[in-house]
Amino acid sequence: MLTRDAALTICETVLDHAKAAGAEDAQVSLSNVEESHARFADNRVTTSGRSEDLDITATVWVGRRRGAATVNDSSEGALKQLAGDAVQIARLSPVQREYLPTLGAQEYSADRGFAASTAEVDVFARAKALQGMLDACRSQKVTGAGFHTARAAASATATANGNRRYFRNTRADLSVTARTPDGTGSGYYSGDHFDLSKLDAQRIATEAVNKAIRSRNPQPIEPGNYPVILEPQAVSDLIGFFTGNFDARTADEGRSAFSGKDGKTRLGEAMFSERLNLYSDPMHAELPATPATNEGIPASRLSLVNAGVIENLAYSRYWAQEKKREATPGPVNYILESTQTPASLEDMIKGMKRGLLISRFWYVRLVDPRTMVLTGLTRDGLWWIENGQIKNPVRNLRFNQSVLAMLAPWNVEAIGRSERLAPYVVPALRLGAFTFTSISDAI
Amino acid sequence: MNATRREFIATGSAAFAVACVPDWAQAFQPGAAADALRAEIADAALTHAATLGASYADIRINRYRRESISTREQQVQNVQRSTSYGFGLRVLVNGAWGFASSNVVDATSARHAAELAVSIAKANAMLATRKVVLADAAKVVTSWTSSFKKDPFEVSLETKIGFLLNLNKTALVPGVSFVTSQILFADEQKYFASSEGSRITQRLIRTYPQFQTTATDRASGDFQTRPVVDRAKLLGYEYVEEPMWLADAEKAGHEVVEKLKSKPVSAGRYDIVVDPTQLFLAIHESCGHATELDRALGYEANSAGTSFIKPTDAGKLRYGSNIVNMVGDRTQLGGLATTGYDDEGVKSDEWHIVRDGVFVDWQTTRELAPQIGQKRSHGCLHCDSWASVPFPRMPNVSLQPAKTDVTLDQLFSGIRRGLYIVGRGVSSIDQQRYNFQFGGGVIREIRDGKLGAMVRDAAYQSRTPDFWASCDGVGGPATYQLWGTAADGKGEPGQTNQVSHGCPPARFRNITVLNTAAV
Repeated sequence: MLTRDAALTICETVLDHAKAAGAEDAQVSLSNVEESHARFADNRVTTSGRSEDLDITATVWVGRRRGAATVNDSSEGALKQLAGDAVQIARLSPVQREYLPTLGAQEYSADRGFAASTAEVDVFARAKALQGMLDACRSQKVTGAGFHTARAAASATATANGNRRYFRNTRADLSVTARTPDGTGSGYYSGDHFDLSKLDAQRIATEAVNKAIRSRNPQPIEPGNYPVILEPQAVSDLIGFFTGNFDARTADEGRSAFSGKDGKTRLGEAMFSERLNLYSDPMHAELPATPATNEGIPASRLSLVNAGVIENLAYSRYWAQEKKREATPGPVNYILESTQTPASLEDMIKGMKRGLLISRFWYVRLVDPRTMVLTGLTRDGLWWIENGQIKNPVRNLRFNQSVLAMLAPWNVEAIGRSERLAPYVVPALRLGAFTFTSISDAI
Repeated sequence: MNATRREFIATGSAAFAVACVPDWAQAFQPGAAADALRAEIADAALTHAATLGASYADIRINRYRRESISTREQQVQNVQRSTSYGFGLRVLVNGAWGFASSNVVDATSARHAAELAVSIAKANAMLATRKVVLADAAKVVTSWTSSFKKDPFEVSLETKIGFLLNLNKTALVPGVSFVTSQILFADEQKYFASSEGSRITQRLIRTYPQFQTTATDRASGDFQTRPVVDRAKLLGYEYVEEPMWLADAEKAGHEVVEKLKSKPVSAGRYDIVVDPTQLFLAIHESCGHATELDRALGYEANSAGTSFIKPTDAGKLRYGSNIVNMVGDRTQLGGLATTGYDDEGVKSDEWHIVRDGVFVDWQTTRELAPQIGQKRSHGCLHCDSWASVPFPRMPNVSLQPAKTDVTLDQLFSGIRRGLYIVGRGVSSIDQQRYNFQFGGGVIREIRDGKLGAMVRDAAYQSRTPDFWASCDGVGGPATYQLWGTAADGKGEPGQTNQVSHGCPPARFRNITVLNTAAV
């Protein structure tokens, strides 16, 4: 993993070469990633490996013409060639109408979210952890499949106008799918953290095994509208389609779910439950993020939805200039949480007269960008709830459901405690209605 | 001439292009010295792995270059070139795999990777309940290059930008609000060496043009899009010079304007004719992924899922009607998954997956084939980068046309109430490849055998065996087209694959159609 000095020295070397080659403005970015993984299935490891790479990208402007080039070689000759290639592309390119001078010096908060335990994963310790998980599967006579990965990354940027930044982060992910031998039950559970030592491998395996056993022999129900409880994993599977809509330019151009009538946006509208907040915060304790946006704007807490009202859309540097305002300090992560005391999953179940408990969704796709209608399927654990109790497992269902309607003031009945499922922090949700359109035979 | 074009020409960049582009292109060309260095590094890695206890090892030393240009309306948003060079070493120790890769390509790094990979394999071998056994493969020392007439990396940037801006201009017919277009070129130079003595050098050139039109109604806040994004091929720049691009751009412009004004579909049961521009995706999801043997054996259970087809089903399972024939093929001209040899040195193959409606064979690798009693791999091992662990990926899987000359109009004839589905819409399918939902880019009514008005918000839902059983018409050889996806995701860590699917249009009876705006 490159240190701050080593990474910025590479960036500045390319910057110098670019200036010498005729660049009038330039930005050099570097990404150094080390990743180690083990994948298991059929109760054994199927693939496992370690990789490392270094990408260096030079973006330069000559007479407002832009060129960019990337290499993964930090030798002196390669860095000089990189700068020369970028300048050559710029000279060949048309004028970039949306050019803005590169960013100058900025003050950034110290980054969080790097743990040595993740960066220096020991393969034999990992094998021992996997052994415990596989034993948990074998002891319950289910077949285990899963994935363990640990990743460490360093990023650095230097601009011709004096911006210098360097950040590090780590992330460990562990997931398990347990399937019963008769093929009628399947359970999934996952966890992730920047600190590998915080991942409870045994709990993840046990939850997956229990879900597999409890989901055996599911019964069919008719497709239709049902009240549902979405576990945090299920909310995480949908929420990316929601958070991806906060771009101000797309909304202003009339091609987003947050575009309004008569050329306006829906900023300021109370579109969602007044008990919901959505925000970005690089200093979040569980999900710290890089303290800068991709464009280098220092990141800070940014409220997107406040008590159900759209409070901010996200402005890039260019679009902010067009609209004569500041670029937004994010988003760099997404935290969806309750404005009130969260409900426990047990209480949500107790409070439900009839409906479905959903573990996760699969193959979710955006059907209609105007209304954020999504389609996808339930997977790895779906149960029928009646009079406050889980009655029986249910065959998987396909849904077609608008996220806007899902989070609408009249539809959100209860909100759980939010938990990390990167890149989100999300709660369980109890919803008044959710639309299912067909049955799936898949287990 | 548009403004950007004027700005471009005014500075004399065109002349500069001729002088400068070859520098970047030539810098990438390997010579004898580079070939010798790769062989030396491969030998260092394979020898060291054997010394440390590997019973088998293979290495891929690959160099990639890519060029991408993206535009919107009449401006260039980005021009980017990238190169990547590195190696990935795979070892088998005590019947378990280990893998290590690095962007530092020298003998010292290769030996270090051998130590890491063997260490990982030994740790994993402690957990193994079954040892990996590989099907035999011939020792091969050869080279192979994909078919192309014009190397896109030797075409000037000005020409490529000109193509995209002309495409955008053509698509911007009255009523179109936005058009975006991109073009990506990829050049993969791959070197494979195994401890069994194979040494294979390959070069693959891919060309990926794509565009999308958008029409907005600012008063109502409504908008619609028409994407043309699935046309990448394993071909050179000659593909960009084919005349259909501008015709399709103009058509996509008119279609998106019509789509914004079209009526919503009435939900219900329809006979549908699915165009190759959409059917390729249905084949990909419902046949391509369902017949990957690693899925059926549970390797993908934690991610992409398993399959409704069981490992023992080959030769027994009725997959579709008698006219359904699916072929796996890594030799097809222009196919994105076409190659000379796969990423463990197995020669490309062509074989039936579904014959006369019956599922007959799987997609296999050297590790998978023995598990169903086969002695030879069909050559489906692939990795998306030198840094990625190679694993089973889909070949081109194609629906065969009728032997007679069936036309599109003949497929429409006899349909009283139907829909003709063209182009990419949303696709989603369950983890065992039963239940799916597909949309379309442009959907028109069929009334009494004739094509009618465009409708919007339609998606069809079915169950794979029911859908293919309902197929009672496929087009003839003249209607066959090759479409494909450049970003097929699978695996953990996720990898992308490029894969094509050829097919004629086909007719399916009594299929459920949703109005997705009314659910």
